[in-house]
Amino acid sequence: MTRRMWVAVLSLLGLFIALYLTLYKVGAIGQLSCSVGSCETVNTSRWSLLAGQPVAAWGAGLYALILVVALAGVQDARRDAPAIAWALTLLSGWGVLFSGYLTYVELFRIHAICIWCVTSASIITIVFVLSASDLARARRTGRRSAAVHASGQRA
Amino acid sequence: MDAGVGRGGSHLVTPRRGQARAFYLVLAVIAVAGIGALLWLANRPAKAIRTLTVQPTAAQAEGYLAGNPDAPVQVLEFADFQCPACAQFSTLTEPDIRQRLVDQGTVSFRYFDFPLQQHQNSLRASIAAACAADQGKFWPMHDLLFQQQPYWSEERNPRGKFLEYAAQAGVDQSAWKSCYDEQRHLERIMDNSAEGERRGVTSTPTFIIGTQMIAGALAYDQFKALVDTALAHAPARPTAPAASHGDSATPALP
Repeated sequence: MTRRMWVAVLSLLGLFIALYLTLYKVGAIGQLSCSVGSCETVNTSRWSLLAGQPVAAWGAGLYALILVVALAGVQDARRDAPAIAWALTLLSGWGVLFSGYLTYVELFRIHAICIWCVTSASIITIVFVLSASDLARARRTGRRSAAVHASGQRA
Repeated sequence: MDAGVGRGGSHLVTPRRGQARAFYLVLAVIAVAGIGALLWLANRPAKAIRTLTVQPTAAQAEGYLAGNPDAPVQVLEFADFQCPACAQFSTLTEPDIRQRLVDQGTVSFRYFDFPLQQHQNSLRASIAAACAADQGKFWPMHDLLFQQQPYWSEERNPRGKFLEYAAQAGVDQSAWKSCYDEQRHLERIMDNSAEGERRGVTSTPTFIIGTQMIAGALAYDQFKALVDTALAHAPARPTAPAASHGDSATPALP
């Protein structure tokens, strides 16, 4: 599978994790399955809300956006579109920064770790690495196409 | 990684059809599994409650009473103001219990402090509530402490927040401040905690409903079923509706 396909697959996984935590936060799921760490401590802390909405809901929104962009990017017409690669890199880069902040809060402010949050942070980091790599590929391909186009014109 | 790359110019490159098929198949499998898992988690029945039969013994500490002390079913709750599960019980289940069971005179509900050592502000919160109890405002303060738990639990010094809640509960602030600063009710809180230890409480919240001891937050239906069991074994006596959620210091308890 291509990098963008992997990005889509991983963002769908991340979306379900974020939805799971959101449903817990809004009371639709009574108890979090948490084999490692203290998921409920983290998800009931004051840092679990941002602008009045569950942090996990913001995460679900970001994953959904990445998924839509990645799905658009696997279509033949946009397969090498640099705009798609830039969008994926910027969106996932933002996700990495925000996940880094949340991991800091877990470790140094709440003093508890939520295994679902760690999994999500790992997923968005991998998505970012794949997206950055895809961006480098798209730029290389763009330069090669330009060179072929220029040499065709000279001939 | 990009197995589909090849064959000519960039705009002509297409993922192999088989590869695209595998991709959409993987997405579909994850989507179906994910939706199925979420639906199952949202609809699965709550875990069966584990109860322990205990001998009814007189309480040595007074706790904080809501309801008629002579109600046929006596309920004891051992809780920690900083415990998330206690907050969940207090905000989601307890209002129904008060309205349907305590105010109807079926249940007398008694709260005992059981501050856990790993919670930095639990003891301070218990002191804040005890000082509100001096002015007959234990239950409003109890409710505010649990509702606002995320906002004070990580504070280095939550006194300011507690003072705010005391004011909201209608407590005279200057009396509350001197009580809180002197830690006037520390002994009462320790007695409540010792009551829990004496009864074998190890986690919060823990409930004793009649002769059944249950650890963990309960939904209303689970709580009501345990009350019904206790009621079936309670000696017949008339029940009088409770006048209010007073902060009684009546120590006699089964």
